[in-house]
Amino acid sequence: MSVLGERLIEALGADAVHTAPEDLAVYAFDAYSEDRLPTAAVIPKDVREVTQVVRIAAECGEPIVARGAGTGLCGGAVPTHGGIVVSFARMNRILEIDTRNRRAKVQPGLINLDLSRATARDGLFYAPDPASQKVSSLGGNVATNAGGPHCLSYGTTTNHVLGLELVDHRGEVVSVHQDDSGYDLTGVLVGSEGTLGIVTSIDVRLMRLPEAVRVCMATFGDVESASEAVSQIIGAGIVPIALEIMDKVITGAVEAAFKAGFPEDAGAVLLVEIAGLADDMDASEAAIAKIARACGALTWRTARTQAERDILWAARKGAAGAIGRLAPNFYIQDCTVPRTKLPAVMRLVEEIVRDHRLQVGNVFHAGDGNLHPLLLFDRSKPRDVQAVIDAGSQILQTCIDYGGTISGEHGIGYEKRESLALLFSSEDLATMGRVRDVLDPARRFNPDKIFPSSAMCSEVRAAS
Amino acid sequence: MPRAKPRAQVYDIDGRPSGRVVAPVDEQEVAEVLRAADAAGDAVVAVGGGTLLGAGNPPRHYEVALSTLRLDRVHAYDHRDLTIGVGTGLTVAQFSSALAAHRQFVPLDVPRAAIATVGGTLASGWLGPRRATYGRPRDLLIGTTTALADGTLAHAGGMVVKNVSGYDLSRLYVSSFGTLGVITRANFKTLPMPSAFRLTIARLPEGTRARAAANVQALEVEPTAALLIDGFRDVLPFELGPEGALLLAFEGSAAAIERATRSVRSALGSAGVPETRIIDTGAHETFARTLDAYIASVPGRSVTLRVLGLPDGALKRDAAARDAIAPTAALLDTILDLRCGDLIARIFVDGKLDALAVRGTLSDAVGALRAPLPEATVLARGLALEGEIDAWGTLPPAIGLMRDLKARFDPRGTLAPGRFLGGI
Repeated sequence: MSVLGERLIEALGADAVHTAPEDLAVYAFDAYSEDRLPTAAVIPKDVREVTQVVRIAAECGEPIVARGAGTGLCGGAVPTHGGIVVSFARMNRILEIDTRNRRAKVQPGLINLDLSRATARDGLFYAPDPASQKVSSLGGNVATNAGGPHCLSYGTTTNHVLGLELVDHRGEVVSVHQDDSGYDLTGVLVGSEGTLGIVTSIDVRLMRLPEAVRVCMATFGDVESASEAVSQIIGAGIVPIALEIMDKVITGAVEAAFKAGFPEDAGAVLLVEIAGLADDMDASEAAIAKIARACGALTWRTARTQAERDILWAARKGAAGAIGRLAPNFYIQDCTVPRTKLPAVMRLVEEIVRDHRLQVGNVFHAGDGNLHPLLLFDRSKPRDVQAVIDAGSQILQTCIDYGGTISGEHGIGYEKRESLALLFSSEDLATMGRVRDVLDPARRFNPDKIFPSSAMCSEVRAAS
Repeated sequence: MPRAKPRAQVYDIDGRPSGRVVAPVDEQEVAEVLRAADAAGDAVVAVGGGTLLGAGNPPRHYEVALSTLRLDRVHAYDHRDLTIGVGTGLTVAQFSSALAAHRQFVPLDVPRAAIATVGGTLASGWLGPRRATYGRPRDLLIGTTTALADGTLAHAGGMVVKNVSGYDLSRLYVSSFGTLGVITRANFKTLPMPSAFRLTIARLPEGTRARAAANVQALEVEPTAALLIDGFRDVLPFELGPEGALLLAFEGSAAAIERATRSVRSALGSAGVPETRIIDTGAHETFARTLDAYIASVPGRSVTLRVLGLPDGALKRDAAARDAIAPTAALLDTILDLRCGDLIARIFVDGKLDALAVRGTLSDAVGALRAPLPEATVLARGLALEGEIDAWGTLPPAIGLMRDLKARFDPRGTLAPGRFLGGI
């Protein structure tokens, strides 16, 4: 056993440390890819143990990668440099629910959906709801500033995280909170993908469950007209709490899996959720339906019961999983464009995919302008893999050309780090590097993530 | 044709004048000013409308006031995207009217909006009363351009509403008091304006305060702002009762607002409050005048502090402030935010006293307030405090990291040195 392994076992106990290759294999991948094995994986039970791990890592010169549920789509939790993977499987509790002030304090390993389940009886919920919410952890959500369908009206993770407890590069515990005077370190840490420290507890904002909720479904002849409807709904100053589009490829797959009642002949389905006071529901629905019809909606249906609403959402959130019916592999892209650019960009995505002789399924947060083309392929066919890579980068470039960004909610991770330089100048990246210099001077936390390999050079230039 | 110079205004901070005043016309010029000052060892304080210069500590030295008022362009606004990008010298009133033309808004809720700028609102970390509903300014911010001390122009975020691409540095510059950089452009997501905006104002008779406040906090249709106001008679456009007044804002459809009004009347009626006045016409103006009170000073005689806290403890905070100030020679006006929990406390002195005696009395009173409420920070001052009162309350646990960040972003201490907490 390595010195590192021995020291970790000494600190955390043998049951909290894995060093055998067969035990480490599960920590080598996330939903993006598999990579090399870490030297060790640890499962601390409290913040004190996390501080010990960070100190040992520093003394042994090993990198540290924090890991939630491993559902990340961009390689953010992959230990590309080996080192220590810190799993939060044992730090998964709700520490406190303050119903009167609508706040909760949770450990990073807590599963997203479990928080809303625990607070529902008090009429409260935690708003960010990534499609992975049944399995993904809040720590991972913080790392990627996770979104979800309901971010349209409620905002993303950063709008719901009030404060954090962090183990810093010296192995010391630091608390940051939006209510403290001083720099908003909470705001910088959310979305920093584990590169600035290890988050050990999270203070979140809870919201009051709306009095009334209505989920409606419109069908369209094609994605473009559904996208146009979304642009016009938003443009008319109506912001429902969710506006989601699924194309025919996706609805076919989810219908087979969920029997949600998606018509198989429609080119696209638009899911609309509105929420608020019961008094407003009819008028809001009527206004949205009117715009949808003007944009060519073929049908409009309102879910009548909670069960009907649930099945529509289960189908939407299970879309990526259902794709397994269509192809051995899929690659999900995540980028955001200004909402008025949605129809044009969707048209271009279709062209790019066609040019590369690939099949695509589109399921996306249309209201936010957040695209998720799923490129279907077969990993065993080298032509497919190359085509997916090429089409993926062309889609990113198209989004940038249209004033968008290269990640809406999945993060940059390992996958897109070279692309970050398409969006930001070396000065911009070096400025971000200044924050890293302070919080992670040794680049020990999750190395190889977010920043292009070339950015290191400009950081060094800027620092000298 | 060069643009007109910014109108005459005060750049003094705590009675200390600036050296020269410069008014760059674009971000490159801002960067150039900073680069030159940094090289020369001059300290630069970015000043927008100057409405919040009474917050924070005075800089240790102050060679350059950098006026942002010429950075007043709307850079990008396609209202159908519900996003806007503006120069930070734009006044909040100009910003709001650009948005209102398309029935949109960004609820910055800042006092003296006709003078206050977007940049000053962000840099000062201003928190308005509607944030429990709409979020803080930082929550609506989606991208920035910022000039750093060494002249670097750094971009963060973008013009889209969902974005996880690199560190979210925009939030770092918000509430940094210009000590890390000067924000030159800010992009926001905008909100569609609700179809109606109504204020209800109720004067509180003797013995009704606590119950009325508790009933308001339990309302089914939540107000977007709920302020329990006592004092500030010199600035408010409405009358107060013996225990002050409750001002509530409701926004939404006409049906929602009617329902809210009925439930407010019933909730306040059962607390012994006989009358609730409705303001529809002029509601925005009345709300704006109420916001003005947050930083309205009594010339030569007052200091205003903000105590952040949770809504559940709001009434206790209010009582603690009263109990603390009562034995002192100072008087107290308060605005208690029942939705967000913060307390605005204007401490002032009456009678004929010289500046020295006023400062002494205020200093004692602030000390008394901070005994139970150590987090109280100065928001406005009616006179120079000359170091008698530190503007910042308790230091945050992460002060060490904050000092390190300051050193990394502004190693020569060019940007507003000493204006921020802990000497930053």
